[in-house]
Amino acid sequence: MLELLGRFHPVLVHLPIGILLIACLFLLLSLSPKFETLKPAIGITLFLGMLGAVFSCITGYLLAQSGDYDGKLVGNHQWMGIATAVISLLLLLVHKYAKSNKISGITALALIVLISITGHLGGSLTHGSDYLSAPLKEGGSKNTAAIPPIPNIQEALIYEAAVQPLLKNRCYSCHGSEKQKGKLRLDAQEFILKGGEGGHTVVPGKADESELIKRLLLPISNEDHMAPKEKPQLTANEIELLKWWINNGAPFNKKVKELSQPENIKPILLALQKGTATTSENKLSLIPEKEVGAAEERALKTLKNAGIMVVPVAQNSNYLSANFINAVSLADTVMDKIKAIKKQLIWVKLDHPLANDATLKGLKDCKNISRLSLNNSKITDAGLANLKSLDQLQSLSLVGTKVTAKGVAQLSGLKKLQYIYLYQTQVQRTDWNSLKKTFPKVKIDSGNYQVPTLPKDTTEVKVVVKN
Amino acid sequence: MTRDELNAHRLVKEAQEAMLSGLSRRHFLKESAFGLGALAMGSLLGSCGGLFSKPQTQISYDPAHPLLPKSPPFVGKARSVIYLHMAGAPSQLELFDYKPELMKMDGQDCPPSLLAGKKFAFITGVPKMLGPQAQFAQHGQSGATISENLPHFATMADEVSFLKAVKTDQFNHAPAQLLVHTGSPRLGRPSIGSWVTYGLGTENQNLPGYVVLTSGGSFPDAGKSVWGSGFLPSVYQGVQCRSEGDPVLFIKDPDGMNRDLRKASIEAINKANEQQYQEYNDPEILSRIAQYEMAYRMQIAAPEVMNINDEPAYIHEMYGTQPGKACFANNVLLARKLVEKGVRYIQLFDWGWDAHGDNPTNSLNIGLKNKCRSIDKPITALLLDLKQRGLLEETLVVWGGEFGRTPMMENRNGVQNPFKGRDHHTEAFTIWMAGGGIKKGFTHGETDEIGYSAISGKVDAFDVQATILNQLGFNHEEFTYPFQGRPFRLTDVSGKVINEIIA
Repeated sequence: MLELLGRFHPVLVHLPIGILLIACLFLLLSLSPKFETLKPAIGITLFLGMLGAVFSCITGYLLAQSGDYDGKLVGNHQWMGIATAVISLLLLLVHKYAKSNKISGITALALIVLISITGHLGGSLTHGSDYLSAPLKEGGSKNTAAIPPIPNIQEALIYEAAVQPLLKNRCYSCHGSEKQKGKLRLDAQEFILKGGEGGHTVVPGKADESELIKRLLLPISNEDHMAPKEKPQLTANEIELLKWWINNGAPFNKKVKELSQPENIKPILLALQKGTATTSENKLSLIPEKEVGAAEERALKTLKNAGIMVVPVAQNSNYLSANFINAVSLADTVMDKIKAIKKQLIWVKLDHPLANDATLKGLKDCKNISRLSLNNSKITDAGLANLKSLDQLQSLSLVGTKVTAKGVAQLSGLKKLQYIYLYQTQVQRTDWNSLKKTFPKVKIDSGNYQVPTLPKDTTEVKVVVKN
Repeated sequence: MTRDELNAHRLVKEAQEAMLSGLSRRHFLKESAFGLGALAMGSLLGSCGGLFSKPQTQISYDPAHPLLPKSPPFVGKARSVIYLHMAGAPSQLELFDYKPELMKMDGQDCPPSLLAGKKFAFITGVPKMLGPQAQFAQHGQSGATISENLPHFATMADEVSFLKAVKTDQFNHAPAQLLVHTGSPRLGRPSIGSWVTYGLGTENQNLPGYVVLTSGGSFPDAGKSVWGSGFLPSVYQGVQCRSEGDPVLFIKDPDGMNRDLRKASIEAINKANEQQYQEYNDPEILSRIAQYEMAYRMQIAAPEVMNINDEPAYIHEMYGTQPGKACFANNVLLARKLVEKGVRYIQLFDWGWDAHGDNPTNSLNIGLKNKCRSIDKPITALLLDLKQRGLLEETLVVWGGEFGRTPMMENRNGVQNPFKGRDHHTEAFTIWMAGGGIKKGFTHGETDEIGYSAISGKVDAFDVQATILNQLGFNHEEFTYPFQGRPFRLTDVSGKVINEIIA
């Protein structure tokens, strides 16, 4: 019960801060004859603020008893808080009985200073001592601080290079030197191995039995899930990395190369080396990172009326996906309308029997297109020339068209291209090698897969009658 | 009753009546201040939204255009889904879950520990253990174990993610199938295809967004409810199409009815419906008008898409189709054509996987092998064909049954069945997924050494549903529909996205 009361402290403190500040402000303002009318309000606001300060002190004391916070910081905050309460009482008395403008003015100023310091110390306790200064430092706030690339991951110490930065990013703010929620600290070997209230945080060699991993893997709705659901969550790769570290005996002084490295861990280690690390998953980019302004409603409407289905790729994005499958006409007048959405358009399905080289001219300026499908359309090599400017193109499907290897090779300048589908095109068997050289990084799918018919496929298993 | 008692009784009654007549509206308000206050606070807090309730996905439902494509809440990797349901529940122990230890126990009595407190559909008393009835080998770079029953599919080992520890809590076909597709073993909930088309609409306005195809000579046990729309607007229920003859019955205009006349009649009907709408303002009438219009367009579009005869011979060869017959291979080829044409959700049911061992067709050595032969080529061809058309990346393919089969041989009513067979089993079975942003060549979850129960990576129908929705761009916890005073969701109160198999 007392602990519950204590937890009201972070809410309650805002009352005395606000009320006492306004009381001091009234008091100082009322010194000028222009604001003399404020005088009667000072007494009652001061009294209420003082009450608030006293209650904050009581709840604050109860909260400090829970032991989740760093002793030294709490001590400072506590004494400043008590001082604030005492001074506010003093100010009330001075205001009421001394009637000296000078004394009450100075006391009010002192009180303002005290409130600011106490408030700041309290803020440091909940948000971390570098909360305020973090944006000024290089690299921004600590939650998103990128882990610097590690030149040679295999030679690096596993704990120092990979585990510690991860714990620092994700866990220290509640389980570090300043706060020890659940009596757990994760900022040094001895504390990690000691564990917290919940038992063995890390059981070397047994990730499944380690409280750390267990809690990371609980459903986010579970009360014991870590990180708390309002805090940034660990990525799947980060959890994998911690699991691997623990399963290898949670070593603090071993190099990465001394640990066994299963397949699933290799790409994660590689990402650490590149510095693309644990903050984001490495995957094919679905939509551009940079957001774009919304397309004009009117343009969308005209396209819709032409049977072209244009919708945002997601509710939280302005980028558009277009499917021409129901388009009645692909005349220039229709394709001209596409230009109104050229910045937003990223996925295009133009699998239309009427689509031809002229149609593709309409896509020339849509430079953000990343996926384009032209399956079973009438386009030829000449039309492909229009795509040379689409430097964001990642995937291009040309199945069932008349394009040749020469036509496709025109697109060799597209640096982001990852997939080209050329099933049922005029690209000859003899062209594959040269195409592969032109597009060394691209996966070219020639299709034509066969599923041979085995004798068993067409026969039936029957009941064997035993004589 | 004595006179005194009667008097007393009358007095009490009079007093009660006097009290009641004294009760006024004022009393009601006074006495119920607390309750009313609580009600008012509830509605006030409710309207505060985010603070006290979970965030909910906003779906705009336009009754005049219910199937227009819509954006998912976040960017999804998959645009369409093909769900291949092997109705009757295939045996994981003869297909994917290889258990050499079980072979050693073959023919022995089942240990009591496996039977205590368990319920089975048919097994009674002490059954014998039954070893794997197929040879297994590891395939591909991923080394997935796949049996000799699926020689073609074995070449796809590096394209799919296996879920080897799927659990359910229903051991009868109908409720288990309902659970898989609607998230509830009881009737009345919308199927996942309905949820998906409700949330995403469909890309081709000339075709239904949710198509159902059945094969194997019988409907799934749970009947048409497995593709029902439940409490969602009825336009989102699955449209069952036939794979032989007309895809939809009566889709052709009757002899003597030309297209113009058809158009005129539909316009007349729609006009009447519009008048009705002006009068009653029921949005379902607008849906009906939209459906008439779509039906008119579908008359042209559907026969073209639904006709597999225009596919070249080598494609037929690849899928192993049997033109003119209703069979799984034809349906699978049709599914690929539908995905190509922008249909959102395609649900296939293939009946006949219920290998109890009570007759040859239901046995592991005869019936199951034949069933495998009928799907092996088609499912392999489907993955390859989607891949070569650049569609596998955006099409999620799911294969599975409604539950698994026991490591014990079935002994119906205590008597051993005449053929090798297994009973229904809820503790572990295998589902695989491919395409649509799922990892290639990956296995998640494992069962104990005899394949009786899941020991790691346990998932259930809700987790699979959550994963499907996730791949399409939905958070299954926020994708809800208000019904009977509370928001309903497909996964109800469970479900966790299987992040392990997401690429």
